[in-house]
Amino acid sequence: MERRVLKRAFVSLGILIALSVFMLPVQAAARNIKVGIIDCYSGPAAVYGNDALNGFKLALEEINKQGVLGGQIEFTTRDTKFKVEIALNMAKELVMRENVDVLVGTINSGAALAVSDAVSKKEKVPFIVWISKTEKITGEKGHRYVFSTADNTAMGGKAGGVGLAKKPYRKYWIAGDDYSYGHDIGDAAWRNLKALKPDVEKIGESWWKVGEPDLVPYFTSIISAKPDAVIFCTGGASMTNCLKAIKSTGMASKMATWIHTAIDHAVLKPLGAEGPEGVLGTIQYLFYYPETPEQKAFVNAFESAYGSPPGFPAFNAYLTAHFIAEAFRKAGAIDTEKFVDALEGLKVKSPVGGMVEMRACDHQAMYPMYFGVTTKTPQYDFVIASDITTLTGEEVLPTCEEIAKARKK
Amino acid sequence: MLPDLSALGSQFLVGLSRAMILFIVTSGLSFVLGVLRVPNVAHGSLYMIGAFSAFSISKLLGGGAMGFWLALILSPFVVALVSLASERLLFCHLYQREHLMLLLFTFALMLILGDLVKLTWGAEYRSIMAPDFFEGSVSIFGLSIPRYNLFLLILGPLVAIALWLFTNKTKIGKIARAAAVDREMVGAVGINVSWVFAFAFVLGCFLGGLGGALVAPTVSITLGMDHDIIIEAFLIVTIGGLGNMWGAMVGSLIFGLTQSFGVLFWPQFAIVFPYTAVVIVLLWRPRGMLKSVW
Amino acid sequence: MKSRFKSFAPYGVIWVVLLFLPPVIPRFYTYILTAIFVTALLAMSLNMVVGHGGMFQFHHAAFYGVGAYTFSLILTKTSLPFWVGFAAGPVVAAIVGLLIGWFCVRLTRLYFGMLQISLGSLIWAIAFRWYSLTGGDDGIHGVPVPDVISSSISAYYFILILLTICLMIMYAVLRSPFGMTLQAIRDNPERCEAVGINVRRHQLLGIVIATFFAGVAGVLFVVLEQSVFPDLLFWVLSLEIFIMCLLGGWFTFAGPIMGAAIMVSLRTFVGIYTEYWTLILGIILILLIFFLPEGVWGYVLEKFGSRPYGRVERKDVDASGGERI
Repeated sequence: MERRVLKRAFVSLGILIALSVFMLPVQAAARNIKVGIIDCYSGPAAVYGNDALNGFKLALEEINKQGVLGGQIEFTTRDTKFKVEIALNMAKELVMRENVDVLVGTINSGAALAVSDAVSKKEKVPFIVWISKTEKITGEKGHRYVFSTADNTAMGGKAGGVGLAKKPYRKYWIAGDDYSYGHDIGDAAWRNLKALKPDVEKIGESWWKVGEPDLVPYFTSIISAKPDAVIFCTGGASMTNCLKAIKSTGMASKMATWIHTAIDHAVLKPLGAEGPEGVLGTIQYLFYYPETPEQKAFVNAFESAYGSPPGFPAFNAYLTAHFIAEAFRKAGAIDTEKFVDALEGLKVKSPVGGMVEMRACDHQAMYPMYFGVTTKTPQYDFVIASDITTLTGEEVLPTCEEIAKARKK
Repeated sequence: MLPDLSALGSQFLVGLSRAMILFIVTSGLSFVLGVLRVPNVAHGSLYMIGAFSAFSISKLLGGGAMGFWLALILSPFVVALVSLASERLLFCHLYQREHLMLLLFTFALMLILGDLVKLTWGAEYRSIMAPDFFEGSVSIFGLSIPRYNLFLLILGPLVAIALWLFTNKTKIGKIARAAAVDREMVGAVGINVSWVFAFAFVLGCFLGGLGGALVAPTVSITLGMDHDIIIEAFLIVTIGGLGNMWGAMVGSLIFGLTQSFGVLFWPQFAIVFPYTAVVIVLLWRPRGMLKSVW
Repeated sequence: MKSRFKSFAPYGVIWVVLLFLPPVIPRFYTYILTAIFVTALLAMSLNMVVGHGGMFQFHHAAFYGVGAYTFSLILTKTSLPFWVGFAAGPVVAAIVGLLIGWFCVRLTRLYFGMLQISLGSLIWAIAFRWYSLTGGDDGIHGVPVPDVISSSISAYYFILILLTICLMIMYAVLRSPFGMTLQAIRDNPERCEAVGINVRRHQLLGIVIATFFAGVAGVLFVVLEQSVFPDLLFWVLSLEIFIMCLLGGWFTFAGPIMGAAIMVSLRTFVGIYTEYWTLILGIILILLIFFLPEGVWGYVLEKFGSRPYGRVERKDVDASGGERI
């Protein structure tokens, strides 16, 4: 008897909740600018999604003090759980139901490409990618409505290639995560290195599944082949495993290693003082370099708001917020076509000083890359990068001709 | 590229140590499968909780060698507590139901535990380090192997022997084995079958948590660890023989060794190797290499 | 005859309502309904073998993905016309179903399921790794589906019509002697074997039909989203489809449709308000397992419907007193 009652109650409640969810009205647009954020807030990629959101929020605090076109910029977020189908659903929901003016986000390359094509291009809504690193976004799959403030594999690979070409290593091994990011960054790095230093030789490759916990068998196999240097094509959580294996097999003392984003704070911080030294890396943002007054202000504001220093997603997202604000101000109206026109070629202030330009020919933000090596310092309880050389945006981006050729394919 | 003998030997040892971790984790899954007849989809979540608990305990005790060892000993008990709570509050009421319902329950549990871990520990990567004692490699018969892997290589068989002694020599272990084969009979003899199941479930999850704590120093501890390990664990248990502990050992060895040798011979396609091995084994012996418990 | 009409009437009414919705509801709801149609077809195809066939089809998503990839590859890599791709998707999915099924039917229950997970995962690994063919984890985007069916409203009607046709065929199959035999096999395979029914052949045929429809669902997915990616082949999706069947009521005919509708709506609308919707989904699942094991639709039918469609709970106990797996 009791069970029956419980059952009925449960079902009725369920129906009521379902109906009420459908009935919920969409917020009436009180002509603020609406930004829809699709990103991953679950699983191993969540640390980056959160960092980006924080950077975005910090920028909005400053921007909204002044306001844009008489209103504010507001935003709403959706968690994609690193699934492409959910990203598509959410992007369409943001565009068709919430009526956002601009879409931003995501770290998942497949999701970025899918949303860029099926939502941004089809519905003519501007989409600014802020973490996903596939070069196809602004390369062969680029179009009028998609932009990127993220560093992509072409840039990372070129920075790595340029940096490594200056070193004396000849025999290389390429190893990494067996998915498109890993292969893309490996190809880009090798392409550029070979172009600048033709006498380098690739003696082997290894690929492991993304997030593979036990890399030691791969590493012992690489060490036994005795290359001069290893190009690691990994990122995120997988890279932490990589760094740990580098330490436990003592690889860094036997040969040189380079990883794009090796000096990423999100990866080095959990390792603490046990992070490996001597690993070469490239990245577009370091919270401790260059030590300009703008950087200090940015880092202080971020730390007091969120408790830890910003990472590169925060840097990208901060720039994104300013690009959006400035483009709308320049356009003079909340109009998509005017916004896109205004955004092309627009320059905004970088949080570390200097200006960052949104290149018109491919809609890619141009900023410098830093090449450094991991070192222990007494100042912090984790390893940081030192011996930093800077490569300008122009040096690391592919040329407009290369982009045009890729898009014609 | 023909690797030399010492490289081969090193790969073999490393593959073995990987197999040991897999064994510790999958023996738990296999035990639960044997006694309760249910593949516990949430086993991966408990493994993940083991790793995160190891992190927290180690951090609480200030890191260092003491922190590590205590974390290693205590985290499986934390996991055991979580699993006991789940079992007594929810799971045990479902024992009379269809198998698919039990499977579904474990899936729901995986979803819930996954988000609870996120709520408790947040999204940042965590990491703990093995004590300095484990740094570097040692040389065994001229083959080099990292010290921590050697530790795992020794621990694995110890756990196997302990488990075997437990299920064959202790009263409660024997009861559990009997319940796996014929639960009605066990009930008829006057033993509370429900508590036997609770015990089996908790023990299985304890082992999963132990695996998570052991693997913690070698990986980054993140959300999503549950998804990564569970499919491997399922496949290993299947090729080993459902419910058979030695089967879990065989399956883990196949998995660990094909992976480490695959890396040596055909590194570009290493990802496909374990799955191919599983397919081959199952086509040849569809019920698994060793006899299932039932 | 009259009772048959009475039991179909509610479905008919719903169908007519669905026909007239798109012009009056916001575009997003049209999109979500279309997504529900595709998922419903997928769930229904699974239920053919699980609810009605009693098999542990643990990796049904593999066939769905194969259908979607076949369709996308034909449209992007060859210059064959659209309808060839459209036909090839389900056919290739059914062939793969036949292949995998042939190995699986030799086993029962849990072994069947585990073997299928392994074989399906192999397909996933290949799609994930074969970058040059399948685009790897990036997937294939911008699949050139003809404009006439790819706009919001036309996709809705196209998919709705196809869904209806497929459902009618499925219903006919289940009511046919073949379908009845399949259900008899589900309830007692030994007895069927004893009366001379070739159990394996029936099960295999059931699998082929189910995977054919899964392939259709895959193709329809691409029509809706113009994208394909390895997630469609992943085991988590297989488990989700399973849940949809159970949620809706796997002994009813239309249960999975309700299950699909609930899952997609929950995922979309709860996801708007919190990033912890998997937690909520897990809790709802547990509540359902405890209080509504016959599924939402099963419960509705019990309350308002005619005779109970299938049997409720089943324990197979063999002579030794232990449960068989």
